[in-house]
Amino acid sequence: MQVTVELFGIPRARAGVSLTISNGQCLGDVLVDLAERFPILAETCIDGRCLRRGYTANVRGERFVTASETPLSDGDTVLLLSLDAGG
Amino acid sequence: MTGNLPGYHGCYLRIDLTKGSSDRITLDEKFLRSCLGGSGLGVALLLREGVAAVDPTSPPAALAFVFSPLVGSPLTTSAKFAVVSKSPLTQRINDSLSSSGFALAGKRTGHDAIVIIGRAAEPSVIVIDEDVVRVEPAGSLTGLLNREAQTQLRARLGADYQVASIGPAGERLVRFATISHDGRHAGRGGSGAVLGSKNIKAIAVRGSRRCSWGNPELLTEFARRLSEKSFGPATAKYRELGTASNLLAFNRLNVLPTRNFQQGSFEGAQAISPEQMNVSRERTRASCAACTIGCEHIYGLQDGKGNVRLEYENLFALGPLCGIDDAEVVLQASRRCDELGLDTISAGGTIAFAMECAERGYLDAPWLRFGDGAGLLRALDLIVSGEGIGRLLAQGSRYMAHEIGCDTIDFAPQVKGLEIPGYDPRGLQTMALGFAVGSRGADHNRSGAYEVDFSQTVDRLNVGPEAAVLAIETEDKAALMDSLILCKFLRGVFDDFFADAAEMLSLVTGWDVSQAELRATAQRIVTMKKRFNILAGWTPAEDTLPARMLNQPLPEDVRAQLSPKRLLAMVQAYNIARGWTAEGWLPDGSPLGDP
Repeated sequence: MQVTVELFGIPRARAGVSLTISNGQCLGDVLVDLAERFPILAETCIDGRCLRRGYTANVRGERFVTASETPLSDGDTVLLLSLDAGG
Repeated sequence: MTGNLPGYHGCYLRIDLTKGSSDRITLDEKFLRSCLGGSGLGVALLLREGVAAVDPTSPPAALAFVFSPLVGSPLTTSAKFAVVSKSPLTQRINDSLSSSGFALAGKRTGHDAIVIIGRAAEPSVIVIDEDVVRVEPAGSLTGLLNREAQTQLRARLGADYQVASIGPAGERLVRFATISHDGRHAGRGGSGAVLGSKNIKAIAVRGSRRCSWGNPELLTEFARRLSEKSFGPATAKYRELGTASNLLAFNRLNVLPTRNFQQGSFEGAQAISPEQMNVSRERTRASCAACTIGCEHIYGLQDGKGNVRLEYENLFALGPLCGIDDAEVVLQASRRCDELGLDTISAGGTIAFAMECAERGYLDAPWLRFGDGAGLLRALDLIVSGEGIGRLLAQGSRYMAHEIGCDTIDFAPQVKGLEIPGYDPRGLQTMALGFAVGSRGADHNRSGAYEVDFSQTVDRLNVGPEAAVLAIETEDKAALMDSLILCKFLRGVFDDFFADAAEMLSLVTGWDVSQAELRATAQRIVTMKKRFNILAGWTPAEDTLPARMLNQPLPEDVRAQLSPKRLLAMVQAYNIARGWTAEGWLPDGSPLGDP
């Protein structure tokens, strides 16, 4: 499945891109792919197939998800962002 | 009294401006342990004063500057104080927090709180040098902007004084005027108007009385570990980007309130985003006293016209909410609010409401249109001068809507009179509940329910009564943080906040505190606020959202819709889970006075 990943906040600042294309059947696959292509994300936001504490993902702009087994469909958009709001 | 009770002085200072007297009043350990400090102690003191039913800008009204057991300790972000009063904007309880040197110096006067009642005969300043309290004529300070007033008063008294002041907005009793200290504000709910109504331009504090600590060695070690954690990934967003980095994410999620909540996304968001401003403007960082996070991001105005501290809330309120896509205008408007002493959220919300009224023909102000930066800046000055529509704007959107009529209250962006912060409740529906039941109105600092919406636990676009207990957890956590007092930007640092807070408070006070006790204390503090509001005239009908939020989905996403029936079910579930009646009254026999 090809998905579009949009990055916000710290993930965007660290990776240096706001958008990238990834592949995977589920969220965990996409996180592994991102960590391989942007190693700095593995130091901050991604731990293996999971998101580190303080980070979250959102699929298709709907519900927030963190479970690595969250299924993805071809053409999905995955948002990756820092969890905390406020200010 | 100092030294008998670690973390506390065991007394508060009560100043009666009408009588020209001041008294030190003892606070016993049991009372302090029941409400801790900050917001909790402030509400408890106001209940003791019996002022819930009085006009908040009348002489009998009380305003409390409240410190906490943690102030002065080595714990990071603990240099904070609360300002607690009845709000002239909501007519309900108002607890606003601010930070830095005033908290440290205020507690060193030897008091756990400073309560002010009465009214001075002429514009004045209060000077507190430990036991010596003077009320002096404000003289040339009257009418000055915040920074000038603080600078001149310190020049007059000495640099070892710390000063909190009101700007011209507070002097003119604007209902959303702030109290400012060193560029930071006790911002929401109009505490500046309460101080202004007492004829007090500023309060200066100095002292040398330090509290003892329950277990100083272990406290130092705990503080060291906490500071180390505060440098880590949990606070990276605040440190590296600042809160304004929410803007583009919220815009993408369609929860960025735009043009008075008519939309959830703004086509001009990129132009005013911190990512864009970082490229084109000088930026520096700063922090409050005794803070290791350093969340403040300060941007330069064009042509060297000064600097502005930028947070997400002033960016949203003075940008998308008013349809403004010019970063320079947003920064100028933020700076103007700081100088005049205006709450940026209420100022932006009220002006956005006025813009919509003007565009719909309900308000005769053809110069006030969404997207018009000159109109925004002119409106801010009118709020304080009181000229033209400024008299109306200075009342906030709810009072304005009642005066204009024509069902404009349906789109006044407020709950209980407090303008809604930058989270569209239709797209963050647990937060919708948090806004509806908030004791001081729509508030993102007293309820962190958006955290639930940002989790996998709920579907943020279709939340039901099951979310009530989750919203309560965030509200209790906030009540405890605001009473200890600690900065909420630390919350991601704790593995188990209530357990860590119990350890922290035990080390500070020497009490054997459990997390169960602190959970009960947090619930007690929330209930005390409800008690105050009931005494002030609260009714269940207040715990809702504007009709616009309940009848119209977000245009960008029709799924972002919250019906009145569903919100009511959530509110009732919340009330029952709190142990109140389904409508939100306290159970029969529950005391309404002293905690």
